[in-house]
Amino acid sequence: MQEKIIKYIEEELANEELDGGLEATEDLLGSGILDSLGMMKLIAFLEDEFGCKVLPEEMVIENFMTVAHVNDYLVSKQ
Amino acid sequence: MDFSWTEEQLQFKNEVISFAETKLNDSHLVNDHKLEFMRKNWQLCADFGMLSLSVPKQYGTHTKDIDILSAILAMEGLGYGCRDNGLPFAMNAQMWTVQLPIAQFGTETQKETFLPKLTSGEWIACHALTEPEAGSDVFNMQTTATKVEGGYILNGKKHLITLGPVCDIALVFAVTNPTLGKWGLSVFIVEKGTKGFETSLNKAKMGLRTVPIGDLTFTDCFVKEENRLGSEGAGWSITNHSLELDRCSVHASQIGAMERQLEASIAYVKQRKQFGKSVGQFQSVSNRIADMKLRLETSRLLLYKVAWLKSQGKSAMLESAMLKLQISESFVASSLDTIRNHGGYGYLTENEVERDLRDAVGGVIYAGTSDIQRNIIAKTIGL
Ligand SMILES: Cc1cc2nc3c(=O)[nH]c(=O)nc-3n(C[C@H](O)[C@H](O)[C@H](O)COP(=O)(O)OP(=O)(O)OC[C@H]3O[C@@H](n4cnc5c(N)ncnc54)[C@H](O)[C@@H]3O)c2cc1C
Repeated sequence: MQEKIIKYIEEELANEELDGGLEATEDLLGSGILDSLGMMKLIAFLEDEFGCKVLPEEMVIENFMTVAHVNDYLVSKQ
Repeated sequence: MDFSWTEEQLQFKNEVISFAETKLNDSHLVNDHKLEFMRKNWQLCADFGMLSLSVPKQYGTHTKDIDILSAILAMEGLGYGCRDNGLPFAMNAQMWTVQLPIAQFGTETQKETFLPKLTSGEWIACHALTEPEAGSDVFNMQTTATKVEGGYILNGKKHLITLGPVCDIALVFAVTNPTLGKWGLSVFIVEKGTKGFETSLNKAKMGLRTVPIGDLTFTDCFVKEENRLGSEGAGWSITNHSLELDRCSVHASQIGAMERQLEASIAYVKQRKQFGKSVGQFQSVSNRIADMKLRLETSRLLLYKVAWLKSQGKSAMLESAMLKLQISESFVASSLDTIRNHGGYGYLTENEVERDLRDAVGGVIYAGTSDIQRNIIAKTIGL
């Protein structure tokens, strides 16, 4: 799951070219890797790819700060 | 995708049109001139159940939940029947950017405390995001909410707030964690009369003059913890959640207004005679009518597509940006074409043709300007 998310962010969403690839613990939001639109695209991707529903109240930094956070959040929903 | 409507949905739309035509059109010309908000008409709409369309049935006046497609069609009917474009605009602002977020993110106590008062028309609410220095770049806001024992202290100023001057409660966005940027915003329900919360008088403006719009100021304003909507940091999610539906519904009313405008234009150019024939017989005039029809129908298709996507629980970020851009720009262009087709008659305020143009211009600014919608579209498709 984690690899798929990293690949999608690297290829489709990252605002700038990422030196040396994206780490699972890298700050996606504070660092500006994802902007608002990127975040919404990521949510649409997660819903399509993993068949989950991201509820509006779950779209908070605790769940989306890093790829590792996203991964934990998805696992918690399974 | 199925674009057919049920009998029940169409019947509801027709009931809304006939309600609006018979009850809401008696004083808008004077209200527009004098910048007057018609509280009486707001109450009539609440009593009819319009304000309840955006909340679950237990918080409103309907006996069953209203699906988004029916709500959109009803708002289209309101825009068609109500000749005051300001009233549907203001109602939509409260319904989708205040009531909906409270229904989605609120605690049970918040829902029970605020929603019935809003849907019944007893209270009026506004959504306060924009600031003097943060418009399009709204997440760069300066208003702060500092955590203290039992709540938060708000300081800052909100600007251009629809219904601000007459609000009983305001949904206020403020920074709770400055290091997190847009992820550090939280939302508070601030009640009128709270110490340190002030509203400005209604501001004079070009169009939508029947809607009070103004500033809100917070000076060491204490807000109880139980009045925070959602968790700390939920501000981004709360805006995003309501945005697509707000764009859909406010523009549904504009579709209704564009249809009314087109019908009036056709009737006028048929009966107005120059050079021995109806002006509608001149191709320059009929071309404008054809363009108006095309704008109406392309806008309507986008509207129904977004409403359908939302009814399926899908995201509509690209589609709602295209919808907002298409309808708001179309309403401006068609309003100008209508004035051209009416000649000097259309230029006089008393004939109720030019008002649509003044009302339409706000649509290319509020809820993200046309430039911002173009940015979203370009970015979403890969630029
Ligand atoms: C009728 C009306 C009702 C409103 N109601 C509310 C309300 O209830 N609550 C609320 O919070 N706000 C409300 N607003 C405020 C509204 O959301 C803002 O006016 C809007 O977001 C634009 O911000 P601004 O006016 O500061 O313009 P600015 O952001 O200063 O824009 C000025 C110009 O620069 C352009 N521009 C800015 N940034 C970019 C960019 N990145 N790319 C391209 N062009 C750019 C804009 O398109 C515009 O042409 C309302 C506004 C109006 C007109």
